[in-house]
Amino acid sequence: MPQKKPTARPTDVVLRIVGESGEGTVTLGDVLVELFTGLGLDIYTFQTFPAEIKGGTVMYQLRTKSGVTLSPGDVSDVLVALNNQGFGLFGDNLRSGGILLYNSDAFSPPVDPTRTDYALPITTLARAEKDKVRHEVSGEQLKRLPAPVNTVGLGALLRLVNAPLEPAEEYLGRVFARKGEAIVRMNISALHTGATCVAEQIGDRETPHVGSRPDHRDRIMVTGNQMLCMGAIAAGLKFFGGYPITPASEIMEFLAKELPAFGGNVIQAEDEIAALGMCLGASFGGVPSMTATSGPGLSLMVEQINLAGQAEIPVVIVDVQRGGASTGLPTKTSQGDLNLAVYGVHNESPRIVLAASSVGDVFWTTVEAINLAETYQCPVILLSEQALATRRSTVPPPMIERVTVKERLKPAEADLGPEFKRYLDTSSGVSPMAIPGTPGGMYTTTGIEHNEFGDPTYTPDTATKARNKRFRKMDTLLVERGHEFVRTWGDAGKVELGVIAFGATEGVVREATERLRYAGHLVAHLHLRLIRPLPVAPINEFAVRCKRLLVVELNYSGQLAGWLRVNTDMTFETFHRDDGRPFSSHDIEDEMLRILSD
Amino acid sequence: MSTTAPVQFTPKDYKSDLAPIWCPGCGDFGVLSALFKALSACGVDPTKMVIVSGIGCSSRLPGFVATYGFHSVHGRVLPIATGLKAARPDLTVIGVGGDGDGYSIGGGHLPHAARRNPDITYLVMNNNTYGLTKGQVSPTSMLPLVSSGQKMDPKRWKTTPYGTTEDSIDPIAQAIAWDISFVARGFSYKPNQLADIFAQAIRHKGFSLVDTFSPCPTFNQEQTEEFYKSRTFDVPETHDPTDRSAAFALSVNHDNYPLGIIYKHDDKPNIIDEQAHLRARFDGQGSLQELLARFAAK
Repeated sequence: MPQKKPTARPTDVVLRIVGESGEGTVTLGDVLVELFTGLGLDIYTFQTFPAEIKGGTVMYQLRTKSGVTLSPGDVSDVLVALNNQGFGLFGDNLRSGGILLYNSDAFSPPVDPTRTDYALPITTLARAEKDKVRHEVSGEQLKRLPAPVNTVGLGALLRLVNAPLEPAEEYLGRVFARKGEAIVRMNISALHTGATCVAEQIGDRETPHVGSRPDHRDRIMVTGNQMLCMGAIAAGLKFFGGYPITPASEIMEFLAKELPAFGGNVIQAEDEIAALGMCLGASFGGVPSMTATSGPGLSLMVEQINLAGQAEIPVVIVDVQRGGASTGLPTKTSQGDLNLAVYGVHNESPRIVLAASSVGDVFWTTVEAINLAETYQCPVILLSEQALATRRSTVPPPMIERVTVKERLKPAEADLGPEFKRYLDTSSGVSPMAIPGTPGGMYTTTGIEHNEFGDPTYTPDTATKARNKRFRKMDTLLVERGHEFVRTWGDAGKVELGVIAFGATEGVVREATERLRYAGHLVAHLHLRLIRPLPVAPINEFAVRCKRLLVVELNYSGQLAGWLRVNTDMTFETFHRDDGRPFSSHDIEDEMLRILSD
Repeated sequence: MSTTAPVQFTPKDYKSDLAPIWCPGCGDFGVLSALFKALSACGVDPTKMVIVSGIGCSSRLPGFVATYGFHSVHGRVLPIATGLKAARPDLTVIGVGGDGDGYSIGGGHLPHAARRNPDITYLVMNNNTYGLTKGQVSPTSMLPLVSSGQKMDPKRWKTTPYGTTEDSIDPIAQAIAWDISFVARGFSYKPNQLADIFAQAIRHKGFSLVDTFSPCPTFNQEQTEEFYKSRTFDVPETHDPTDRSAAFALSVNHDNYPLGIIYKHDDKPNIIDEQAHLRARFDGQGSLQELLARFAAK
């Protein structure tokens, strides 16, 4: 079978695979990611999982191109449907003229002239491949040997997007080497069978070319959660206490494996309350500490977040946001915890809320989170999102030589002694913090209102001074660094429309903005990395150059919009929804166009 | 040739400038002075120790000791103390609090402290009531049941005006069941014995729980100094604290409470040592460069 040579030039191709969870859909996606990465391509994925322990429909979207990739793509060029249910649930985003590769053993899709269908009797072909090696393996092995369904699918898909089969052969040889030569041969044969089945149907038609990029660039293939962990390690994390929760558990799992080599500890606590308590204890002992959870766990941590604010104990709380209220949509994405992160407290104490925006960004935002906690001696809530946390992307490796680790302010020798003031009222609000073991630094930290020594005091005068001191740290942060926590994209100068957003919507808003600029509109985008304290000055500077403003966010009521109304006098329009799906760039573009044209 | 004698600390060296805010006659005074004596006896350097507490009358104790202290939120003594000890194994970590703090709101942390067995001494001042909130039923209160028809004092026990509908818990039997590796009971009106128990608890390697009857003269007119004087006895010298069944049998007599060391499990593994093993296994091998390289796109 003559195989078309892959074109040298990579093109933008979006693949979407849907099928039953636990039956290889994710594996197929992961293998494609690895093979395409091997071709030098840049990958951006989006996965959505069912909440069932096993079973349910899973969707794996994979975009491959060369260069900066901002989203998993709005419409797919190729849809691979392994079952009818998946086709029904996730088949709607195939572009007109797109390709459907379907498992013809499982179902027959209704005829649709706007797409080209490729039938792949995947189970039948895979069984035949297994039959070919039946006499070569032992009875026991044969019983446990699955028919190479995924490999047939892989071959078909690779052929469909004009990718070479040799790297896949090499991959199969490596993965199945342990199982013996017959199994390797079965898989390589299955790969070609799948490819041949598709090739026979292609005829003279053109199908997408993923292409390849032979030049060597340093890239890593990571998920958001993995990058977050590496950022934490880079910033000197030494203690992690956590409790398992979707979609944050991967953070604890990663750190449990890696942190001991960096001299740190990980403890799986009995609940989220204990998890944060352990972090506060460790941080009081002088080591940078972090926990990670999702919305339900963050709810349980609220009381101690306030203690950390009041007692001025550095700590980082990662919230990988998931969909819905209560148990809600635990495997889906959302930006619905902004209010909890910003307002979740009885009475008021200072805190910092940061939002990570991409797999590349989350490394640096985590470094910031730990540095800010240590610098300003307060809790830092770092907002991530399911879509970002579980996404695999190719990104340039972070330049770790650029990481600076900030240590908390320690008392000078002269400050120590019986008159040591742990909560010294300074112009920045930041006081020297003695760690246990320091002679002359002894104090009792407490959530009770206290004087500069830390001794409980209830007078109105002390209460006012102490609170002003604590909140002054937030003013100091904004004055010192406020402008560093916004990113602006799009046109400079006066624009027709400016979009304000935070978190993982950065890529799609940038994409929408770029498309509208290309179409001749004057548009810009301000992306917030710091939510609380809100960097009002750079927001106002942005607002004055925008004729109209639009606030975009992935939650039900428009929580960022509310927070902006509390802190600024801007008027703006809002665009928000919260149904478990991330925005596509077309969602944003349509909304921007609606405003631009009215 | 000169030798440096180890620095000795007298009980007074542990006393801070803050005067306790407790009511006159509060059992917690006895606990505080026994703690001073025990710390002195153990030679604990006040700069190298931390007292962690929750919320309640007794949880104000850290401020009265001239050392590092962490007065936290209600019920979270054990997680905070565990995190601190894990991060700083070099420190002496003591947890303190009341029966409400330790057995009610924080009760869920006890079995987990037992299975982790960190080297922490946990001193519970058990007054069988909520004192700071002015006298409500606690998990160790011994109140008449509603069905007994007994009249309640209208000025006290205001959340159980007709008697209680719940049984009380037995922290000692519970602790033995969870295999807390050092379980003892003291009484604030037996100061020498109490100081000795505290000292043994501090010296014990692993998690130790000392439940101290510490009567509240303001809100509990039933479990008073006199009540406990007539209802306690010293653990007999023949008792073998490493015999778990014997310890359990000793603890479940609710008419007469044993004072002393009731249960010990000396060789129980502990999280602090296990974590040290883990760090030693990978000692100095952490390299962010290598970690990133593992994710290199090939």
